[in-house]
Amino acid sequence: MKDTNTKLLTTKAQKKRFAYTMVSPTVIVLLIMTAYPLIFTVFYSFTDFNLLKSAKHGAQFIGLENYIDLFKDAYFRQAILNTVKFTIIAMFFEMLIGFIMALFVNSLKIGQKIMRTLLLLPYLLPTVTVALIWRMMLSPNYGIVNQVLSALHLPVYNWFSDVHTAFGMLVLIDIWQTAPFVFLLLYAALQSVDESQYEAAMIDGSNAFQRLIYVTIPNIKGSLALCALLRTIDSFRLFDKVNLLTGGGPANTTATITQYLYNYGIKNLNFGFGTAGALVMTVLVLLLSSFYIKRAMS
Amino acid sequence: MKKRIVAVLMAAAMAVSLTACGGTKEDKPAETGSSAAEEKGEASGDPTKLSIVLRGGTYAEVIKECLPAFEEENNCTVEVMELSEDDLKQNIALDALNPQGSYDMCMVDGSWMAEFTENEVLADLKELGYDLDDDIIEATKTICYNDDKLYLAPYYGNVTVLLLNKQNVVDAGYETDGINTLDDIMAICKKAQENGKKGFIYRGDTPNNLVVDFMPILLSFGGWVVDENNQPTIDTPEFKAAMEYYMELIATGDAEVKDDLIASCDTGAGTMGVGWPGWYTPTADSTADYVAITGVAKEGDQAYNANVYGIWTIGVPANSQNKELGTKLVSYLMDKDVQLDTVKIGGVPCRYSSLQNEEVLAEYPQYEVVCKALEGGVYRPVMAEWGEYCTILGTELGNIVNGVTSVDDGLKAAQEKLVDLLG
Repeated sequence: MKDTNTKLLTTKAQKKRFAYTMVSPTVIVLLIMTAYPLIFTVFYSFTDFNLLKSAKHGAQFIGLENYIDLFKDAYFRQAILNTVKFTIIAMFFEMLIGFIMALFVNSLKIGQKIMRTLLLLPYLLPTVTVALIWRMMLSPNYGIVNQVLSALHLPVYNWFSDVHTAFGMLVLIDIWQTAPFVFLLLYAALQSVDESQYEAAMIDGSNAFQRLIYVTIPNIKGSLALCALLRTIDSFRLFDKVNLLTGGGPANTTATITQYLYNYGIKNLNFGFGTAGALVMTVLVLLLSSFYIKRAMS
Repeated sequence: MKKRIVAVLMAAAMAVSLTACGGTKEDKPAETGSSAAEEKGEASGDPTKLSIVLRGGTYAEVIKECLPAFEEENNCTVEVMELSEDDLKQNIALDALNPQGSYDMCMVDGSWMAEFTENEVLADLKELGYDLDDDIIEATKTICYNDDKLYLAPYYGNVTVLLLNKQNVVDAGYETDGINTLDDIMAICKKAQENGKKGFIYRGDTPNNLVVDFMPILLSFGGWVVDENNQPTIDTPEFKAAMEYYMELIATGDAEVKDDLIASCDTGAGTMGVGWPGWYTPTADSTADYVAITGVAKEGDQAYNANVYGIWTIGVPANSQNKELGTKLVSYLMDKDVQLDTVKIGGVPCRYSSLQNEEVLAEYPQYEVVCKALEGGVYRPVMAEWGEYCTILGTELGNIVNGVTSVDDGLKAAQEKLVDLLG
C-alpha cells in the first residue's frame, strides 16, 4: 500500500515537474520580453535618465521628483482631463454607432458581405492616411467641408486651429475610423445568437425593442464589455492622430497624455520623465478599465 | 524519460535561438578607427557602403541627386535614410550610444548643436581634413565651430522669409520690395482684411512653430528669447511690445498649418506669413513671392537681424565606421560647383558663389532675397535645453494667441517656468 502511494506521489511529482519544464520556455521569454522592460521602465522613472546625457554621465536616482513634476504641471493635469474626456466620449459613440451598424448589417437579408466590407474600410486605412484625408477635407482653403458650408451660407471654421472645434474634430475622426472595429466584433457576436430565442420572444408577443433589450444585449454582453475594454485602452493611448493633426494645440485643448509625454519627455530625449508619465498613464488605464476587467473575470 | 528528453531538447533549442539572436558586433574583431571598413572595401575591390541619415523632403532630395557622381568617383554606395525632424534627432541620438555607429553622415538642425557637441555625438571635421571656406556666408558658420573644432557644415540655407501674395500687397498700395517696416506689414494685412482677404497667417499647430513664426517679430523689436548668458528674457518690455504687435497682426488673419499657409498666400485667400525658402519656389509669373524681413519695427527705428535660421547642416557622427569617406562626402556636397548645380533642383546653398551667380539670379531672382536674409540671420539659441525651452515657451505663446491668458500673465508664466527649467 505504502509502495503504491509512494509511486503515485512520484508520478504526480514527475507530472508536475514535466508541466513546469514545458511552461518554463514561455515563462523565460515572457520574463525577458515583458517583465524586464517593465522593471526597466519603473526603475528609470525614478531617475533623470536622458538618452544623450546619461550615456556619458550616467543617470542619477532622483526619487519621486519626476512624479512630483508631473502632477505639479498644470498642462499634465489638463492632458489627463483631455484624455479622460476623449476616452469617454469616443468610446461611447464608437460603441453606439458600431452596435447600430452591427444590428443593421445583421438584419440584412442580402448584401451582408458587401456592406460588411464597405463598413470596415475606414478601420483598414492607416492612421496617417486617415489624418491626411481629414486634414485635406477640413482645410480652410481647399477643403470640401468648408466649401459646402460656404455654398450653403453657413459659417466656416478653421477646424483644427480653433479652440472650439479642434477637440471635437479629433473625436469625430476617431469615431469614424474605429466604430467599424466595434461593428466587426459585435457583428460576429450577433451571428452566434441562437435564432430560436428570437422566435420564442416573438411568440411571446415581444416587439423589436424588447427583443433587443431582453434577447440581443444579454447574449452579447461579453462582447460588449470586451469592446468597451479594448476601446478604452486604445482611446487612452491616442497619439498619432493628435500628433499629426494638432500637435496638442490650439492652447493645449487637444493635448492627450501621450502627446504631453512626447512633447516634454521623449522628444527631448528625457526618458526618465517620459517613463514616469507612461507609468501614471498605465495606472489610469487600469483604473478606468478595471470595471470591465472585473466583469470579464467574473 | 522520453518527456525529459523532449524538455531538454526544447530548452537547448531555446538557448540556441537566444544565442543566435544576440549581437554579432562583439563577435567581430574591433574595427575601430575610421578606415577599417574602407580598407576592407578597397582590399576586396567591393564598393564601400556608406549610410547617411537625412531630413526628408527637398533637403534630402537635393543630396540624393548629387550622390551618383560621388559613388562613382569613390567606388562606394550610399544608403540614404530619410526621416522627419523629430525622428532624425532621436535616430542620431540613439545611434550615438553605440560604440560602432550605423551612420557615416547625418543632417543636423542648428538648434541641436549644443546638445550634440556636449555629448560628443559628432566628429571634428577639421581633424578629418575638412574646413569651411570663405565663400560660405560668415553668419551661417557661427554655430558650426566649438572650441576651435568644426562639427558641422551649413548645407541648406533655410532662413525665415516673409511669404506673401503679390496681388494682395499691390491692392493694399504697396510694392513687394517696398515692405520696409513691421508697420508696413500691419498696414498691408489690415487693408487685405478690409478687402475681404485674410491678412497675416501664422502656424499655430505646435509649440516650435509658434515660437519660430514669432521670432522675426521679436527680433525686429530688439528682443530675444535669452540673454548673453542664455537666461530667459521673456518678461521684458521688448518681448511684451512684440507680443502686443503680434496679437494685433494675427487678428487680421488665421492660424493654419504649413500647407494651408502656402496655399493661402498662393491663391490670395491670405496675404502673408513667415515661411522658408524650401517651401515655395517663386517665378516671375507666380502669384506669391517672398522677401527678407527687414528687422525694423517702425520707420526710423534701428534695423535688427531678424531672419531666423533653420539651416540644415551636415556632419559626421563620432562613431562612424567610415569617418574619412563620410568627411569626403561632406566635402563633396559642400563643393562650390556641386552646390551651384543643386540650385536647379531646389538647393539653397549658403554660398555667395551660388546665391550671387548672375545666371542663377537671372533664372531664380529670389536667391537675392535669400542671400540677404542669410547675411542677416540669427541662429536659435545654442543651448542643450533648447528643445524643452522651446516647448515651454511655445505652449505659453499658444495660450496667449488663443486668448486663454493675457499677454502679461502668459509672459510672466513663461519666464517663471523657463527660469525653473534652467535652474
